[in-house]
Amino acid sequence: MNNIWGSMEQYDPVVWNWIIAVYLFMAGLSAGSMLVAIGLKWYKQSRGLPTEGLPVVKAAAVIAPVSICLGMALLVLDLTKPFEFYHILLNYNLTSVMAWGVIALLVYIPLVFVFAGLVFEEPIRRCVPALNGVLKVCRSLEGSLNKLIFALALCVGVYTGFLLSAMISYPILNTAVLPALFLASALSAGSAGNILVATLFFSKKESDCIEQVHRIEYPVAFNEALCLVLLFVGLNFSGPAAQAATSAITSGAWASVFWLGVVGLGLVVPLSASLFAPQSWKHSKGFLVTVSCSTILGVLALRHFVVYAGQSYIS
Amino acid sequence: MTKRYVLVHDENKCIGCQACNVACRSENNVPESVTRIQVRIEGPHGNFPNLHFKYNRVSCEQCENAPCVKVCPTGAAYVADDGIVSINEKKCVGCLYCVAACPYKVRFINPDTKVPDKCDFCKKTRLARGESPACVSVCPTDALCFGDANDPQSEVSQLLDTKTNYQQKANLGTQPRVYRIPSRKGGIKA
Repeated sequence: MNNIWGSMEQYDPVVWNWIIAVYLFMAGLSAGSMLVAIGLKWYKQSRGLPTEGLPVVKAAAVIAPVSICLGMALLVLDLTKPFEFYHILLNYNLTSVMAWGVIALLVYIPLVFVFAGLVFEEPIRRCVPALNGVLKVCRSLEGSLNKLIFALALCVGVYTGFLLSAMISYPILNTAVLPALFLASALSAGSAGNILVATLFFSKKESDCIEQVHRIEYPVAFNEALCLVLLFVGLNFSGPAAQAATSAITSGAWASVFWLGVVGLGLVVPLSASLFAPQSWKHSKGFLVTVSCSTILGVLALRHFVVYAGQSYIS
Repeated sequence: MTKRYVLVHDENKCIGCQACNVACRSENNVPESVTRIQVRIEGPHGNFPNLHFKYNRVSCEQCENAPCVKVCPTGAAYVADDGIVSINEKKCVGCLYCVAACPYKVRFINPDTKVPDKCDFCKKTRLARGESPACVSVCPTDALCFGDANDPQSEVSQLLDTKTNYQQKANLGTQPRVYRIPSRKGGIKA
C-alpha cells in the first residue's frame, strides 16, 4: 500500500555508505602505519640502534601515501558534485569537524610523500637527480618533520572518529569513545599493514623488527576491546533511544559483522594466534600474512559496522 | 527588532489531506521523486471508542542551533539574516554531512541540482512578496500559522502564549522554530 503522503525513500537514515566506511579505513590505515613506523624509529634511536632501511618503515612509506590517496579519491568520487570538490579547499567553517580534517589532511598528505621520499632516497636520487636538492633540505629537517607527521597522523586517526560523533542524533556515533576506538583500531590496522607489506616485499630475514611491532599489539587490542565495551555499556545507560541502539550487536545482519568480523577476525584470531601458536610458526611468512590480513579485515569490518549500524539507529 | 519566523502546526485542526505537500511541490518546483514536506498519519492511537490519529508534520524545523549548519565544512549551509536555515548552492560540494547530521531527516539531495534541498519557508518567492508560505496559505483547516514570534501582537505569538505547544526532539538542544499544538487526546510524544 502506498502512503498518502508519498514516498519514504529519501528518509533512509543511512546516508553515508560503504564508500565512507572504506575511506575511514584507508585514513586509519595510513595514520596507523605512520604512527607505528615513526614510533619504531624513535624507539630504535633512543637505544642507539640504526634506523636506516628497516623493513617496517619501508612498508609504512608505501602504505601511508597509497592508502590516504586512494581514500581521498573515493571520498571525492562519492560527492554529489565531484568536479566542485575544490570549494572544500577554499571555504572553511571551523565549527565543522570535516573542515578540521581537510586542514589536517592538506598538510599530512604532502608530508607522507616527503617521508616516503626520505625512506627511498637512494633509488629516487638515481632515477630523478633533479630532486637531490629538495631531498637534502628534507633530510636536514627530518627530525622535526617526523614529529609533525606523528602529530598529524594522530589528528587524522582521531578526526575520523569525531567526524561521526558530531552527528548528534545517532546514539552509537554520538559518543566520546568513538575517536578513541578509531585511533586504537587505526593502530592495529597500521601495525598489521606494516607487518604484511614488510614480510611480503622488504624483509630479508623473516623476523626483521616485526618483533617490536608485535609488542604494541597487546595494548592496542586491549584498548580497542575496552572502547567497544565502553561504547555499548555507555549506550545502555544513556536513555531509551541509546538503549534501543544496543540491539545493533544482538540482532540483524550487522550483529554478525560485529561478532564475526570485528571481534572474531579483528581481536580473537590475532590474539589467540600470538598466545597459542607454536613458536616455530611465529616468524613464518604464511603465519604473519594470515594474522595481519585477519586484523586488517577486522578493522575494515569495524568501520562498516560503525557506519551502517551507527546510522541505522536514530534517537 | 529582528524577525524570528516560526511555524505553528495545530495537530487538532490538521486532517492529513496533504494539500500543503502538493502546494509546496508546485510553488518550489520540487522534483517528483522527492519532497520538502510530508504530513504523516500515524495511528490509530488509543482504545475504541477513544481512537485518534496523530498528524505529524515532517519538514525542516528551522533550528536556531542547527546541526546541519554546524557540520557543513564549507559554510554552504548557513543561517540567513532572517533566521531561516538556508543553502548556498555555489559553495556546496555534496558531502552529505548535513543530510546525515539532521536529527529530523528532512534534508535530501535534489536530483536536478545535486545539492541538499529542504523547506525554506518559501523565502525566495512568497515570503519575499510579503505572503505566507504556500503550505500555510493553502491549508483548508487553518492548521498552520506562520509569522514573526518576536512581535508580541502577531498571531503566532498569541498562539504560543495561550496554547500548550511542544517542539520535536527538544532534548537535542536544536531549538526548532516549528512548534506543534498537540492533539487533545492521548499523551505528547515529542
